[in-house]
Amino acid sequence: MTGTEVAAVGVVTGWGQSVVALPSDAARAAGGRRVIAALRPSLVGERFRRATRECLLGVAAVEALLREASLGREEIRGGETALVYVTAAAYGSANHDFIVAEAADVGAGAVSVGAGAARTEHSVGGLRKAHAGPVASNTLHFPYTAPSAVPAEVAIEFGLTGPYVILLGGASAMIDGLWQATLLLGRGQCRRALVLAVETFAECEPLWARGRWLLRPPLVESAACALLVPGPRRATYAPASTPSPLEALVRVRAGETLACAPLIALALARASGGAGPLRLTGEWRGRRAGLVWETP
Amino acid sequence: MITEPVAIVAAGAVTPIGADLDAFWSGLVIGTDGISRIERFPVDDLRVRLGGEIKKLKRERQGDCRASQLLFAAADDLRARASLDAPPARVAVVLGTALGGVEEGEKALARDPSARRAAAALYDGPASALARRLGARGPVMTVSTACASGATALGVAADLLRSDAADLVVTGGYDILCRFVMRGFDALRSLTRDRARPFDRRRSGLLLGEGAALVLMARDRDAGGRRLGRLLGHASASDGAHVAAPDPDGRGLERAIREALAQAEVGVADIDFVSAHGTATPLNDRVEAAVLRRVLDAHAERIPVNAIKGALGHTMGAAATLEAVMCLLASREGVVPPTVGLEERDPECELDLVATAPRAVRPRVSLSTSLGFGGCNAALVLEGDGR
Repeated sequence: MTGTEVAAVGVVTGWGQSVVALPSDAARAAGGRRVIAALRPSLVGERFRRATRECLLGVAAVEALLREASLGREEIRGGETALVYVTAAAYGSANHDFIVAEAADVGAGAVSVGAGAARTEHSVGGLRKAHAGPVASNTLHFPYTAPSAVPAEVAIEFGLTGPYVILLGGASAMIDGLWQATLLLGRGQCRRALVLAVETFAECEPLWARGRWLLRPPLVESAACALLVPGPRRATYAPASTPSPLEALVRVRAGETLACAPLIALALARASGGAGPLRLTGEWRGRRAGLVWETP
Repeated sequence: MITEPVAIVAAGAVTPIGADLDAFWSGLVIGTDGISRIERFPVDDLRVRLGGEIKKLKRERQGDCRASQLLFAAADDLRARASLDAPPARVAVVLGTALGGVEEGEKALARDPSARRAAAALYDGPASALARRLGARGPVMTVSTACASGATALGVAADLLRSDAADLVVTGGYDILCRFVMRGFDALRSLTRDRARPFDRRRSGLLLGEGAALVLMARDRDAGGRRLGRLLGHASASDGAHVAAPDPDGRGLERAIREALAQAEVGVADIDFVSAHGTATPLNDRVEAAVLRRVLDAHAERIPVNAIKGALGHTMGAAATLEAVMCLLASREGVVPPTVGLEERDPECELDLVATAPRAVRPRVSLSTSLGFGGCNAALVLEGDGR
């Protein structure tokens, strides 16, 4: 097994682009808001007309990564790039719309077509209704309810045809995802791995409010992507009993970002320029996983 | 081997054709049809009202969501065949699902405002529930590569063992039939009003089913003499082509198969049997047959292929695990179950299909293929313990 290293991290959150936009204290910056929503990225193209907001956030995170790494799209295209996607919550938005659409259909006797375009729009400042018409609907929307829809749109957009893993859960699942990426690289199944997370909350805000024992506000919509490549660092995957300093830092600066949190931690670590061992931890449903990258 | 083989010690299942592993297997061999009219939720407004519904569970517990109930039933069956003899912190749970607890989401949005229901709507909830029930305190993971989830989960479980992150892994897949998924597939017109006929000339779509299948995995060197078989290799690949349809050339599936065979260091000549995804949709079966012919090459004429979704319906997250278990049971019992629903072979799907009757053959090495929404493809290479 060869070692790995993190070549770049792209981050988009409800606070803005990159970790530079993160406040010093997310709770204070939220000013009592429960959800800090991310803008629907304004990506052009016919294919994106029906794509959901969470899909577009996934694409935006990869674009942010490419900008940071000064890479062109052609440099990640093809079967030698693995895609590992993790989320705890992003599919909830499409599921919500699909379920609500049935209730609307039953009430109004109407069926509409299209997904993201008819959904409530979000801005950093809160929510506003974009359309007065019925919310997302049946035939074309259903595939977007699958957790695999976000990585599918990303894979299609960037031509990614390599190994493919999708894990569901919060920050500990992202630790699992990063570990999976190191295995794929170590076994030579790919030459690079994109590890992507997207989390959205706004559509299901009332449901999240009920589950407050699972997560603490502010819930910050986020998308983040790390590029892992072969390198000198050996990754050790193991349970962790306490949060690492990076986990605690992300909690304070970004708020609750679920599966995105370890990737934001990576971005903060890279921004600080630290050269020592990189200790990541992530917790979800009472389980804390850890990954340590160090040079032997 | 490029990757260390992992032992599949035992299995447990609950399916529309049988409430445990033995009933599942005997149902497959005799060609039981598990499809019936759906009774558990309203379907009168849908085009298709049939599915592989499990009518009764052995023990139904109030308060557990149906997904958890299916998992608990499969876990009870598994534990009747093998014990989890490892410290709790060294026992992991890795489950594949396409739908998780989505039915709880429907209820939470419609009428039940409880926090419990909201949390149960998360797709990773049933895996946590199963871990609690088993007393497993190692890694708990939920894989969701759509209808390939039950294969990817086995691969991730094997990685946990090879990395020494666990000593035992309870892994597999599950999904339930609920209104959410029936309505979605009905709207997509993917469901047939006929029966599911994998690789049949008249095939017109799939039927959905529900079920759960679990296997207990251990490092091969730790398994001792107890094993149903071994996982030799696994791989996944993305199509990068379409959100809901397979790549018309099946390039992702082909990559997954070739990589899984390479991982296992198994040549095409070594393959004795193929369990195909075989959904019975016109496109899937045509694409899959073409890929299998390309990969198997001259051996395609002598390697038996079957698909069990005609009997069970497409059990989504459970499907690939059920199919993997079927491969191992075929090796143990020396018989390959038939492809229920296949009566008129499609010339475009020219393979050595095991059609209307079981075939007496004892496969040692099997290949199992899976595809799912989002361009997910997965392949498993399994070795049975039959002699």
